[in-house]
Amino acid sequence: MKRSVLWVATMAIIATVAAVFVPATAGAAKNKATKLSGTITVSAAASLTEAFTKMGSDFQKANPDTTVSFNFAASSALVQQIQGGAPADVFASADGANMQKLVSGGQVTAEPTVFAANALTIVVKPGNPKKIKSLADLANVGTISLCADTVPCGKYAQQALTTAGVTIPAEKITKGADVKSTLAAVTTGDADAAIVYTTDAKAGGSTVQAVKIPAWLNVYAIYPIAPIAASQNAALADAWVKYTVSPAGQKTLQSYGFLAPPLQ
Amino acid sequence: MLDAHVQVQIGELPIDVALTATDGETVAVLGPNGAGKTTLLRTLAGLVALDGGRIALDDTVLDDPARGVYVVPERRSVGVMFQEYLIFPHLSVLENVAFPLRSRGVGRAEARRRSSAWLARVGLADRERAKPADLSGGQRQRVALARALVAEPAMLLLDEPLAALDVGTRTELRRDLRAHLASFAGVRVLVTHDLLDAVALADRLVVLEGGRVAQEGPVAEVTARPRSRYVAELVGTNLLRGDAHDHTVTLASGGTVVTADAADGDVYVAIPPHAVSLHRQRPEGSARNVWRGTVQGADLLGDRVRIHVHGEVSLVAEVTAAAVADLGLHDGVEVWSTVKATELTTYPA
Amino acid sequence: MTRRRGRGAPLVAVFLAFVAVVFFTLPLIGLLGKVEWGSLWANLTSQQAKDAIRLSVECSLWATAISLVFGVPLAYVLARVPFPGKAFVRALVVLPMVLPPVVGGVALLLAFGRTNGLVGPWIYDVFGWQFTFSKSGVVLAETFVAMPFLVITVEAGLRTMDRRYEDAASTLGAGRWTVFRRITVPLIAPSLFAGAALAWARALGEFGATITFAGNIQGRTQTIPLGVYLFLESDQPLAIALSLLLLAVSITVLVLLRDRWFGNVRSA
Repeated sequence: MKRSVLWVATMAIIATVAAVFVPATAGAAKNKATKLSGTITVSAAASLTEAFTKMGSDFQKANPDTTVSFNFAASSALVQQIQGGAPADVFASADGANMQKLVSGGQVTAEPTVFAANALTIVVKPGNPKKIKSLADLANVGTISLCADTVPCGKYAQQALTTAGVTIPAEKITKGADVKSTLAAVTTGDADAAIVYTTDAKAGGSTVQAVKIPAWLNVYAIYPIAPIAASQNAALADAWVKYTVSPAGQKTLQSYGFLAPPLQ
Repeated sequence: MLDAHVQVQIGELPIDVALTATDGETVAVLGPNGAGKTTLLRTLAGLVALDGGRIALDDTVLDDPARGVYVVPERRSVGVMFQEYLIFPHLSVLENVAFPLRSRGVGRAEARRRSSAWLARVGLADRERAKPADLSGGQRQRVALARALVAEPAMLLLDEPLAALDVGTRTELRRDLRAHLASFAGVRVLVTHDLLDAVALADRLVVLEGGRVAQEGPVAEVTARPRSRYVAELVGTNLLRGDAHDHTVTLASGGTVVTADAADGDVYVAIPPHAVSLHRQRPEGSARNVWRGTVQGADLLGDRVRIHVHGEVSLVAEVTAAAVADLGLHDGVEVWSTVKATELTTYPA
Repeated sequence: MTRRRGRGAPLVAVFLAFVAVVFFTLPLIGLLGKVEWGSLWANLTSQQAKDAIRLSVECSLWATAISLVFGVPLAYVLARVPFPGKAFVRALVVLPMVLPPVVGGVALLLAFGRTNGLVGPWIYDVFGWQFTFSKSGVVLAETFVAMPFLVITVEAGLRTMDRRYEDAASTLGAGRWTVFRRITVPLIAPSLFAGAALAWARALGEFGATITFAGNIQGRTQTIPLGVYLFLESDQPLAIALSLLLLAVSITVLVLLRDRWFGNVRSA
């Protein structure tokens, strides 16, 4: 059947208009529901520094109207800040106990999500000059750098040492306020070894050498994340939390050495 | 015996002064501010090193740049009494006087004994424990003197020793100082700008102007025959300078002076103010020197008045206050000054 | 009290001054408000507190002493001895005052660290001394930040004192050391005390350089400020008790200083 030129032209115009407007409106409808904007502050455990920074830049690229700022410190310090009224939108902790404090305190009302896991490792100076091979060796060298007792990695380190039956004399232990400064004592300072997360050893690159803690002595750190109830931008906060468990987020986390979260 | 030729330059003024003094002699260095008197004193004390020349005290050379000799102040046998005395405020009077002895290694008891003796000599025996802030100006001066002399130096330097005192105390202390100086056996060099101090305390006068010696000699001679405006003003006499021929001196300003003594060549003429008489009209009489002038300024000194007269021969005349009233001698008034030729002194320049 | 007539107080200045006073007082009031008075004594006599207090006192006093021994001659040379490059040296001396303390700590590590330092390894090999993670490291860090205060204060005192007293002492037979000992030092005593007090206060409060260079070891390098930092999360009442102690000590020293050494000195 021969269509008239007019009919073809009209169809073409309708098709073009449809092609332009329908996806646009559908897209608009979708965007209205999911277009993210605004700024959030993510208070995260210091061990998440490198991974979250990369994820933040990826996230902002995908959502150009958003700004994600980070506040990295020891989880215990962050809890104090948030309970003191600091305006954070999301909290990512290196252990459950600190998250629980916020849940009990009412600063977190949503159910936290576990998005990553980590393990401990010993780090020493490149070349391992003191020939440290195990946790037991830590008691016999010079100064050891550990995280402070209230910081998650400090608690974990004490756990590992207790499990291994190792006691390091108090005068040989220098305590760092967060895992990064604990690591710095070996990279820049004179400490012979430190117990930090495997992700930190990886981040330290060639400035440190890792000495593995066997799995049966190691501690499995789980990382919960939750939006803060008082957040001014709940939508964006939720989006970030979802991003950390999304395939893209997980891929980045694992590229930095984090372990996949255990099944919920 | 001090034998010094001081050549030094601090700041803009080069100083070149030859100075000698024998034991028991007091030499006063007189001069206006900025003439270099204090710098001269500081070179003798050793606080400033010479650029050229030489300082020798008795047989010891203290400073000789050409030979590379320089003795630091603490090794010189020189006692200094500073302007404003510089009594150490944190030490007691006795500790101050004992300081030179203790610094030279004298034992504490011995130093105390000798210092007490000196304090007794200057009449401050009862103020041994006092702090300098509790003393009067005159007492501080005595402490400064005792401190300067206690170590028995070969030379005593005094920098304006009475300047920090008020007039009343000054007269009394001038007398005391004279007595103490008389009993000191070494050389004394006194720096001052006050002629009264110089006359009362010194044997010889060295007048310093612009870093150089303008005039020197026994006190009486310098004051009687000043050779510079500075000394003339200090002494309070009129000083004129001109070319003498026989009994006439032609001044640079053009006026002429008739003198009693004959002279030839470049001369100074000194006219004491009290020898100048003032008249409202040209006077007749034996005075050979009569000059016309105008009154420009007057200074009151008790019952005497010093009238400044400007004219072909400018002079200061000293007259009674009554005369001023009688003659109506105020500014701008035309007067005639007369001086008898026998009242003035002429001497070679 | 009778009121004088005449101009009133300068209102704008008074208001701004009041704001400044409030600014300084509020944090102190906040601190006082948080103190658990009941357990204060128990906190201050706990082992951690005793260790921290003992270390703080020892190390700050040592730092002050070292600052005096080396700082006074330095001040003297800066004030009295002409030499080329003096402006540079003076800037160097003031540098620790301007440098963030943590940066100072890193710099000390890079100089005296046993593994990475410029001279640290040599010192360890020759003398067997290790500064990091030791009390001597605390003293070194505290001296580094505190000495400039002493040098600056004493240099100012030397510049403003009447030097004629030193001249007089020379002419009276005192050698240079005697002049310094018996005349200069007594006359600059106010600035000496003030400089020492400032240096001591700075040493006592030092944190950034200490934690970076000497580390945080209880009983060995954990001074009061380091302790407060750490206990703030684990044992807040202890942290606040120690802060209160530091505050009380500082105020006492400052009050004593005002009366005795700034006000009451007889000058030349």
